[in-house]
Amino acid sequence: MSFETLSQFNWSVMTPEFIILGVAALLTIMDLFMPKGQDRRILGWIGIAAIAAAMVSVASLAGGAVVSILDDTFRLDSFAIAFKLLLLGGAGLVMFLAVSYEAKDGMEEYRGEFYYLFLTALLGAMFMASSGDLITLFIGLELLSVSSYILAGIRKHNLKSNESAMKYVINGGISTAITLFGMSYVYGLTGSTNLLAIAQSLSGLTDGQHVYLLGLSFLMIFVGLAFKLAAAPFHMWAPDVYQGAPTPVTAFLSVVSKTAGFVIVIRILLTVFGAATTKGPGSMPILLDMQDYIAFIAGATMIIGNVVALKQSNIKRMFAYSSIAHAGYILVALTSLSSNMFYSIWFYLLAYLFMNLGAFAVIQIVTEKNGSAKIADFAGLYRRSPGLAVVMGILLISLAGFPGTAGFIGKLNIFIGAFAGTPHYVLASIMIATTVVSYFYYFGVMTQIFFRPAANEDRFKIPASILVVLIVAVVGSVLFGVMPNIALDFMNNNLDILADFFS
Amino acid sequence: MENAWLIPLFPLISFLILLLFGKRLKEASAYVGILLTLASLIYSILVLFERFSEPTYVTKFDWLTIGDFHLTAGFEVNQLNALMLFIVSLVSFLVHTYSKGYMHGDERFHVFYAYLGLFTFAMLGLVISPNLLQTYIFWELVGVGSFLLIGFYFYKEEAKAAAKKAFIMTRIGDVGLFIGMALLFWQTKSFEYSDIFAAVDAGQVSGTMITLTAILIFIGAVGKSGQFPLHTWLPDAMEGPTPVSALIHAATMVAAGVYLVASLFPLFSASHTALMTVAVIGGFTAIFAASIGLVQTDIKRVLAYSTVSQLGYMMLALGSAGYVAGVFHLMTHAFFKALLFLAAGSVIHAVHTQDIEEMGGLWKKLKLTGPLFLIGTLAISGVPLLSGFFSKDEILAAAWEGGHPVLFVLALVAAFFTAFYMFRLFFMVFTGEARGNQKHVHESPSVMTFPMIILGVLAVVAGYVNTPWFGTFLGDWLVDGNEALAAHGHHEGPVWIMILATVVSLLGIYLAWLIYGKRSVSRNWLSGSGDMLHTVLLNKYYVDEFYQLTIVAITKGISYFLRFIDTFLVEGIVKGITGFVQGLGATGSKMQSGQVQTYGAVAFIGLALLAVIYALTGGYLR
Repeated sequence: MSFETLSQFNWSVMTPEFIILGVAALLTIMDLFMPKGQDRRILGWIGIAAIAAAMVSVASLAGGAVVSILDDTFRLDSFAIAFKLLLLGGAGLVMFLAVSYEAKDGMEEYRGEFYYLFLTALLGAMFMASSGDLITLFIGLELLSVSSYILAGIRKHNLKSNESAMKYVINGGISTAITLFGMSYVYGLTGSTNLLAIAQSLSGLTDGQHVYLLGLSFLMIFVGLAFKLAAAPFHMWAPDVYQGAPTPVTAFLSVVSKTAGFVIVIRILLTVFGAATTKGPGSMPILLDMQDYIAFIAGATMIIGNVVALKQSNIKRMFAYSSIAHAGYILVALTSLSSNMFYSIWFYLLAYLFMNLGAFAVIQIVTEKNGSAKIADFAGLYRRSPGLAVVMGILLISLAGFPGTAGFIGKLNIFIGAFAGTPHYVLASIMIATTVVSYFYYFGVMTQIFFRPAANEDRFKIPASILVVLIVAVVGSVLFGVMPNIALDFMNNNLDILADFFS
Repeated sequence: MENAWLIPLFPLISFLILLLFGKRLKEASAYVGILLTLASLIYSILVLFERFSEPTYVTKFDWLTIGDFHLTAGFEVNQLNALMLFIVSLVSFLVHTYSKGYMHGDERFHVFYAYLGLFTFAMLGLVISPNLLQTYIFWELVGVGSFLLIGFYFYKEEAKAAAKKAFIMTRIGDVGLFIGMALLFWQTKSFEYSDIFAAVDAGQVSGTMITLTAILIFIGAVGKSGQFPLHTWLPDAMEGPTPVSALIHAATMVAAGVYLVASLFPLFSASHTALMTVAVIGGFTAIFAASIGLVQTDIKRVLAYSTVSQLGYMMLALGSAGYVAGVFHLMTHAFFKALLFLAAGSVIHAVHTQDIEEMGGLWKKLKLTGPLFLIGTLAISGVPLLSGFFSKDEILAAAWEGGHPVLFVLALVAAFFTAFYMFRLFFMVFTGEARGNQKHVHESPSVMTFPMIILGVLAVVAGYVNTPWFGTFLGDWLVDGNEALAAHGHHEGPVWIMILATVVSLLGIYLAWLIYGKRSVSRNWLSGSGDMLHTVLLNKYYVDEFYQLTIVAITKGISYFLRFIDTFLVEGIVKGITGFVQGLGATGSKMQSGQVQTYGAVAFIGLALLAVIYALTGGYLR
């Protein structure tokens, strides 16, 4: 590739990525040259500014035609824009949590890294959203994963944090191996790593043996990627890692990393297996043939997440299982493959971003104050800080999916989607039943907050940066619950994922 | 009118502010509530005036879209809505002001104002809803507000019971409304009023279905408006603070049922049976409740039964196709009944009792309240030249023209009763010798008398917007531009109806004067003629007892049976399920051993399992 071809590319579509990359590099250098004792929070604020700038530039790219550069490895379509907005929004809120995170356990010296590693992880996720090639998808995935491994273990002198990072690396390694193995079948059958080229060559597939092999590779890729979603059977790392990691990192893993997981799953499954046919052109795609397997994993994820959450006494572990459960709900939307699927998944992740990050903000305040993360520590929160208690109450109600909140609308979208096309009665019933189960553990926390006496009457000091997160989270959870069509109008007016995705 | 949605928002803001800062504001909470409802009132007046010259304004947006499934939300300002906005926000504002004096010193002063804000928000929201679903949501919210306010003195057993009763009785009606609404949606694929009317007009809905849905919706109205047989909650609801009775149980919430029937009038008018049902229930309630009112001795209960009876009048009017008559009486009644309740509150404030046997001779002591109460009494009795006279005349004319001679006679008798018991109340409270122990009786502060004066003025003049003498402005305006309603506009009744009505009400007043004023006829004249009758009336026809013996007993029987099933069958199953779920959770937690090897193994086993299933069933084999 000569310099001339390089310079002819429409690089402007990569502006958001360049901003994040540039600022990440800048922070690395600044961190190096800053005097040792100096407060490095400023780096965090620069990071927030970078994320805000990147969000603006993503938003300004919306509405254009599909652009793909670098030999179709990087593509900017509506799908990429919609999900990058989620990734950036989530990462931005996480950064707000990170700047107010009290450094302890050996993290003091690595505070600078703490901030720019979030940015590199985010960069990986953004590349995944925009990639049109198995190689770039994988690179993005690994950039996200490796940054997350370090982040989980950044409290160097804390045993739990170390354990968390170690488990994360090992499980991540296994999952990567499985995913790659599955991808190798796809490459072997088509001789290409470009997603659209693969789709093209598979769309006329007639050979039964090839179809069979592709089915196997589908299972391996899906199970491997289930790791990022924390979906069963690859969910077991989540509680341990979530518990040991610093709270902002946990928040990042449960929201941004999970969103990135769905991005890559949708990208690969829909382009490759949505195009690959079972019996020659025009016949049923493999994806539909394998629908039952996704349904199986979705059901198992919902049941395991919700049921095991009942037994937890640590709030971060409980939220780990709750995040597993939410991944299960979203997988229901993926199973149903309705025309509304993109929007349902996007909206659910949006709602989940607000309610979950807001909850983690409250968790961060309470656990830092008490020095432990037991659910019992929330006892009497209403007496100690009525505002914080009401905020947490609203967020929990939204997580549980009550009417009037974004969580409800998200679930309703998915639920109605499950009956579009061939109805998935079993999956829909599991969704309802496990939602009811989830009331028990969410309201368990509520009981502690509102009806249990407080151990002490200490008030909470809420730092300004966390206040921002709380306000955004509550406003988002309520606004999209009361006026859900704001999001729909935004989508309809600016982005057309269905039309863009396969072109 | 584009911004009419702001009107309900002001009280909501008041509610939120008081919820968050009420404790700190204490009695200053009153100013928050008063100012914000004043804003609503001013805006409502502007909207009302704008509506005189401009056509109906409707705006709606898709509230929720999932695939092809649309739900809309929005608001509408038509004649009826604009009028209701004005009535509700006016009475609410006056009650807010009045309560500042009446509730002074109450420990939960700010909570009271917060609840008032919530209720006003719900009621105003209900009034501007353009579709049935939104109406239903606010309808329930109104019920919640009323529940909270009736049970405001929750430490009083009676108040708690009354709140519960009101909630349950109106819920029974709501079930009817809900089913009716769902059926309509099923038939017309829409919750929008305009779509429903269009579908009815175009004959897309069968006649039986129209009758059925209309009657089901009417059941909802029966519950909310305290019509027979679901009326028993309203008198009990008098346990709430008196300003609440004026706001909720006189002018606004109980009128919601009438409003619902009025706003769905095109649906009702498409079915003769439905209209007949409304008229008969209304007419019967009117005389039934009025007769109970004859013997009650609690000042608020007399007013409560009179409210039930007057609401019956409105239903009778609507059922006789007298759309204008019903709405007109709704308006005048809101003014004079709120006045009567506030005046009654002022009396109670002065003498600290509600028993009229312990009052008397208050005319000289309460120099403002007395005359104001008299105005209200004259208005409700239908004495010529006051507002009630014109609206009642309109209803009587509607009933006569509508071809219901029996109901017409019933209404006439009810009018006689009304005049009698209202003046009985007046004479017993304000004339004669002071009974009971009355010390330190003093007039209420001006913050309480001011709202009464405003309502007093309105109770006199409000009738002149629609009279046979000076033009039927209101009637013409209400049906303007609406063909479906035009046929049910103002009824020009024969003059003899007006004269007859006047004579009847004057007779009632004269009789009351003879017995309770001049005392030339023994008080036992009525009860003497038949102890039985008196006892029956005093016990409100034993309706409560009847419910206790039949419905409550049957329900209890069923509940014992169900409880038996519940303990042995359901609970067993539930225990089994929860045990299973808990066990599953425990197993899951146990699996979470912390060993990375286990985690990896689980992942591989999961993958292997899927692969085996695939190998056994999938691709190759098919």
